[in-house]
Amino acid sequence: MPRIGVFICHCGHNIASTVDVEKVAEFAKTLPNVVVAAHNMYSCSEEGLGAIRKSIEENKLDRVIVAACTPRTHEPLFRRNCERAGVNKYLFEFVNIREHVSWIHAKEPEAATEKAKMLVAMGVAKAALLEPQEESESSVIPVAVVIGGGISGLAAMSALVSQGIETHLIEKEKQLGGILKDIAVIGPEMKSTKELLDKMIKEIKCSPKAHFHLSSRMTDMQGFVGNFEVTITGDDKCSVKVKAGAIIVATGGREWTPKGEFGFGKIPGIITQLELEKRLAKGDVPDNAVFIQCVGSRIPGRDFCSRFCCNASIKNALRIIEAKPNAQVTILHRDIMSYGTTAERVYRDAAEKGVRFMRYGLDSLPKIEKRGDGLSVEVFDETLDDVIGMSIDTIVLAVPMVPIENVKDVATQLKVPVDKLGFFLEAHVKLRPIEFATEGIFICGTARWPSQVSECIAQGLGAAAKASIPIRKGKVVIEPITSSCNIEKCIACGNCVAACPYQAIEIVETDGKRHAFVTEAKCKGCGNCVAACNNDAMQQKGFTTTQLSAMIDALVKNAMEASQ
Amino acid sequence: MAFDDYKADYLLVMRAEHGSVAPAFISKGEEIGDVRFDIPYQLITVLSRIYPQIPKGKIAVVVRKCDELALNELFKRGIIDGKRIFKIGLACDENIIDKCRCPDPVPSKVDIGEPKKGVAEDATVTRLRKMSPDERLKFWVRQFRKCNKCFGCTITCPVCFCENQCVLGERTLVAEKSIPPGLAFHLVRSFHMADKCIECGECERACPAEIPLLTFRKMVHADMKELYGFTPGDEKTVSPLLTTLEGEPLEDEKNVC
Amino acid sequence: MTEFNPTILAFCCNWCSYAGADLAGVSRLQMPPNVHVIRVMCSASVKPEYVFKALSEGIDGVLVLGCHIGDCHYLTGNHRTAKRFPLAQKILNDVGIDERRLKLDWVSAAEGEKFQTVITEFVSQIKQLGPNPLREVKF
Repeated sequence: MPRIGVFICHCGHNIASTVDVEKVAEFAKTLPNVVVAAHNMYSCSEEGLGAIRKSIEENKLDRVIVAACTPRTHEPLFRRNCERAGVNKYLFEFVNIREHVSWIHAKEPEAATEKAKMLVAMGVAKAALLEPQEESESSVIPVAVVIGGGISGLAAMSALVSQGIETHLIEKEKQLGGILKDIAVIGPEMKSTKELLDKMIKEIKCSPKAHFHLSSRMTDMQGFVGNFEVTITGDDKCSVKVKAGAIIVATGGREWTPKGEFGFGKIPGIITQLELEKRLAKGDVPDNAVFIQCVGSRIPGRDFCSRFCCNASIKNALRIIEAKPNAQVTILHRDIMSYGTTAERVYRDAAEKGVRFMRYGLDSLPKIEKRGDGLSVEVFDETLDDVIGMSIDTIVLAVPMVPIENVKDVATQLKVPVDKLGFFLEAHVKLRPIEFATEGIFICGTARWPSQVSECIAQGLGAAAKASIPIRKGKVVIEPITSSCNIEKCIACGNCVAACPYQAIEIVETDGKRHAFVTEAKCKGCGNCVAACNNDAMQQKGFTTTQLSAMIDALVKNAMEASQ
Repeated sequence: MAFDDYKADYLLVMRAEHGSVAPAFISKGEEIGDVRFDIPYQLITVLSRIYPQIPKGKIAVVVRKCDELALNELFKRGIIDGKRIFKIGLACDENIIDKCRCPDPVPSKVDIGEPKKGVAEDATVTRLRKMSPDERLKFWVRQFRKCNKCFGCTITCPVCFCENQCVLGERTLVAEKSIPPGLAFHLVRSFHMADKCIECGECERACPAEIPLLTFRKMVHADMKELYGFTPGDEKTVSPLLTTLEGEPLEDEKNVC
Repeated sequence: MTEFNPTILAFCCNWCSYAGADLAGVSRLQMPPNVHVIRVMCSASVKPEYVFKALSEGIDGVLVLGCHIGDCHYLTGNHRTAKRFPLAQKILNDVGIDERRLKLDWVSAAEGEKFQTVITEFVSQIKQLGPNPLREVKF
């Protein structure tokens, strides 16, 4: 007979403000096989974890349920806690009553409490049928692949090769450097990008472990953490397959192209920030300029701020003034984003040096017209509460950074998610940044969201640090959620063989009986075979038909009783 | 009939003896006796039970159109080796065609009987489709309440080859000691049969409670046709339930239901 | 007469729809409290048997939520989900259970709002359909 302990978490007032935690604990006591039901303030704290361990010992529990936040954050923590107390980590079941109950039914505390009870009842039903599992290990190939040779990819690669880790970098252009190739200096210190890139590339090339694949793209990716196989195809159509243990995505972003905003493309003299960077690099300095910030940004449909464009405009404004002290430079903005100490100082500096800053609103956009050889700008300055007119030669549109065009291809090949805007989505903003929910694949740089160069470098180093963990350990633990075939129930109909996306199942013969057989190393634990099997012969560990059926029964029983 | 006609070592037919008609598995050399073709019965089910005990030799069996389709389903799954089976095509007569509401009663090769036309539609199916879901549910609940879980339908079904391992005997889906079994029993069976059932009607004939099982099979058969353009009994086509979306009628992002 | 409060079961896949549900929670998107989630690794592991069992025993509605086609963590897993459930719906319709009591939809990890919409609309649909007639039927 299983001895189940149920621990309901208050999570401070995150759960307790909506769900009556005590009532749920009382209810849990009435469920079959439950020996003890308690509630604590923060189950994930040292105190909370200790209380659970104490209860396991005192009550001789062999199954543990925690009803708290989402398993996607703290399941490993609670599993390890069970292990410490002598309970196999897979005899633990997590019930989500925060993200799935208290936070989404905040105005219906009674109904939320009822729902929490139902979910606990379902969890208890499953827990009673859990079996202890042992994890298996898989070795890790000590090679890393970095996709993208921009600043974050290069930073990641330099950190990897300096540790002696064999690294392959894939870059679609002929040269390394990404967008920074087109930008001569970066603010606020006016550092030369060429020097920065050259230094980094030189250091990397010193290592025999560094391999570059230029003018190439990733065309296929198979495998799982520790055992990836990446197919790299060059523009010349030659392909090479690289086996790797970890993959870092550093595919970057691109400058959004305006679709005629403010006369772009129709009236000459209107350029984007990148175009200005290219001109300044060649020494082609405009005599005067108006920068318009937030063009195509912070509007419905693209409501984010790209972070670096204000600093970029201020930097370029200062460059223009330095080259031509009499230049009239104006920055039209909808809030200046110059966070931190240095950027804020540079902003003040620029204002003192004569760069004009004017705030405009979305409801009164600057009007641009061709006038003679040049342009005229009319803007309603919100601070002055008046319309200001200017005659100038060059208008620079500070546009957002958006995802690269083929981001969906990369996402599909790696099977990683992108958010609504097309930027890659990491596992968890706070608890698991820089990595995807899929183990072994990491994300850095502007592919995740627009960032400053310093931030990109930091993220690249961070991704390299994380990627080196499985490589250094040499092995990864395979979660025991694989499938297996119950030979007695199998009739070798072949449904599972056809259904498996990984071709991990085949029909074999044992003692004269034909049956299905799963090669565990290939099994990823999707459970497709389970649903295809008509005989209940294929079972997935941790998600067996008896367990899930018991959950359905528990819901039916408790919900029907409640409604009577 | 003579063995030499078919170059077979065994013959599987319906034979009259001792006052009744029953399946007979006759070895070469034995007397064939009074073979009958007018009593419908699932000889393929009998074949699949005997087959594992006959390691070699060719078996000639009398097949109606539905039997032929059943054989195809078994050949596809490697349960019976098609090279060992010789089919003696039997065209059903009007009596049987009407009872089965059969739309396609002519086997690919007719050795016995005259080809007759099939029935265009099953009257009960038509009536049921016109009803509202509630009325239809009342009808089926009344019918399925009569079920006493005798498993006659599964035992006589030629493509129900799970025998002892039938999941409907499990307690997880169908509660223990529940007679009649809940609706889940019949829904699960229908789902499992969806890509295999060849509408021979044996289940309906076998049912002691006279539940119109063939009618339900016909409804699901029409569903498979509508959704995937798939009809069981095909020699090659893999069940659409096992393939990916490529090239399937459902292939697009919006295939939510 | 008290208002009908449906009991609904939802199967959510770990990589997409469960994460989407979590995101909805983190974003505090409010929705009706009738849906109980069972977490599975892939929508393709949801056996139609579970759906038939749940509906036969009186559950008012079943939702199966997976990754968008092409985004399945397990390659073509959700293809098979997409094949199985339309058939399951048709069988329900044939026996007389309104097929709208079973719904298959795709929710990605970033679609907290879509999760909210799917839940809210489904609960409202089930309320319209009324209690599962099989609740009253004693087999």
